[in-house]
Amino acid sequence: MSGRRLIREAKVAWTIGIKDIRIYYASPPSLMFGILFPFSMFLSFVIGRNMPITRAIPILIAQTLFFASSSIGPITIPLERRMQTFDRFLSAPVSLWTVLLGKTVAGFIYGIGISVIPIAIGAVFFGSQITDLLALVSGMILSAFAFAAMGIMFASLPGQGPGQILMPFNFVRIPLLFISGVFIPVKDLPYWGQIASMFSPLTHTIELVRAGLDGENFFGPLLSLSVLTIYFAVFVFVGIRFHIINQKRE
Amino acid sequence: MKVEENGMMNEAVRAKNLTKFYGKLCAVDHISFEVEKGEVFGFLGPNGAGKTTTVRMLTGISIPTEGTAEIMGYDIQRQSVEAKELMGIVPDISNVYNDLSAWNNLTFTGKLYSMPKADREIRAKELLELFGLYERRDEKVETYSRGMKRRICIAMALINRSAILFLDEPTSGLDVQSVLAIRKMIRQLNENGLTIFLTTHNMEEASQMCDRVAIINRGKIVAIDSPEKLKRTIESLQSIEVAFGKATPTVSDDLKDLPNVNEVVKQGDKYRLFTDDPPMVLAKIWDYATANGLKIITLNTLGPSLGDVFVKLTGIQPDEKGIERRTGMGRGMGGRRRQN
Repeated sequence: MSGRRLIREAKVAWTIGIKDIRIYYASPPSLMFGILFPFSMFLSFVIGRNMPITRAIPILIAQTLFFASSSIGPITIPLERRMQTFDRFLSAPVSLWTVLLGKTVAGFIYGIGISVIPIAIGAVFFGSQITDLLALVSGMILSAFAFAAMGIMFASLPGQGPGQILMPFNFVRIPLLFISGVFIPVKDLPYWGQIASMFSPLTHTIELVRAGLDGENFFGPLLSLSVLTIYFAVFVFVGIRFHIINQKRE
Repeated sequence: MKVEENGMMNEAVRAKNLTKFYGKLCAVDHISFEVEKGEVFGFLGPNGAGKTTTVRMLTGISIPTEGTAEIMGYDIQRQSVEAKELMGIVPDISNVYNDLSAWNNLTFTGKLYSMPKADREIRAKELLELFGLYERRDEKVETYSRGMKRRICIAMALINRSAILFLDEPTSGLDVQSVLAIRKMIRQLNENGLTIFLTTHNMEEASQMCDRVAIINRGKIVAIDSPEKLKRTIESLQSIEVAFGKATPTVSDDLKDLPNVNEVVKQGDKYRLFTDDPPMVLAKIWDYATANGLKIITLNTLGPSLGDVFVKLTGIQPDEKGIERRTGMGRGMGGRRRQN
């Protein structure tokens, strides 16, 4: 692909992302699964436990990144398939990669935008400090991309609405919370739990956020960044394949 | 491949062995056809015949199970960007963004086609004015009527100054005024050089609008020709339409018993008598009415309509809305009135 074509495709991806932001960010499913869900899960976990707020904030950041970024694709794509507006992208002179990149950008910005709120609250009201800015920023960026791509991949499941995608998706997302060192730090998990947690992308998000905010890290930032990069690539590739299969079936 | 003398391709669309399976169901079965540049090509068939599936394959939305399609010489799968740059699509439902204004719908589509800002804004204004929606450009499309949404949908398909426009049932479910406005618009666009691929199940629309028509049934093309040539293929299917002031219950059976009448079909308050000898049957109807004291209020001789061709080729009786109707001495029901 020529450089000119690449720039053109990138602009179209941005256009698709911005359109999704305008139309879907304030929609009820986005607010419910992207904001209400992670915040309520977080509150049900921390209320009544004697946990310092500075230790709780990384959990909230990781959860909001995870749920917000991964919810946009499974909301926008089934809705657009039902309204046949998704066909506009398929018949536009751009590649499927560009279309899905645009959708990923929408999930990425949503996740980053919402997870910045707990960082700001922690810094302003509770004096939490950033100890490793690079780990925090790169961890958040890579996580938001990986989770947004994960959502896009699940959005290729056949279904007539967001509910039909988000329900089975939650059967994957919620168990991931329990093996990812969100509620129990990885170092306190049994050996088999530590092995299992290594394969969860969410583990590496919270690892990097903790490394960024309180210097605590079990696997090391480099491993976590590598794992998130691999997951992003895998989710994008599998998502594209699934969408091509859909085009062959529909 | 059909090539003009100067070496340029003459086909806007070229489908070869296009096939689509949904599981074990064959929705489109190895169809091949060509659409010439500048023509209005009708794709006519009953619901479920494979019309929309064909359009989806031609426009790159769906990947064919077998076969190829070319748009202006570009393979829709292998050179999809080049092919898609030249086409506009109006699907069977108006797939507009209800949460965006008409203006934003158009400019967003322009961005998908990578049109420069100034160009897409000029074009959006031009199209909104052409479609009579410029005054309401800033309103969300969700407030628009179905006909207005259809017009926006067509405008969105034209934003990139496409060379070929795919229209899938463009007038389906619209009021008469919107139907007439859209048909007029399609004619104007075609006069300006745009190739039109029109999918419809409406015989009247196909007959009025199309230079050539392909009839598709159960995934297979059963005929391709101009509407008039298709009608001529069943010229033997002549009929007489008659309505009486006050018909008795036995009229239908009595008419069947008249000499040279092959079949009688009751259509509302009229009877359609199929015959190989219309002058003879006309005389007999007159004698029958006089003998039974019946007043004839409508009497027409009819040639075959595209609807008749459709029925003959597919064996499916179309709904009455789809059969050609014309006003004359009385209201006709199907068939082409002869100019006597």
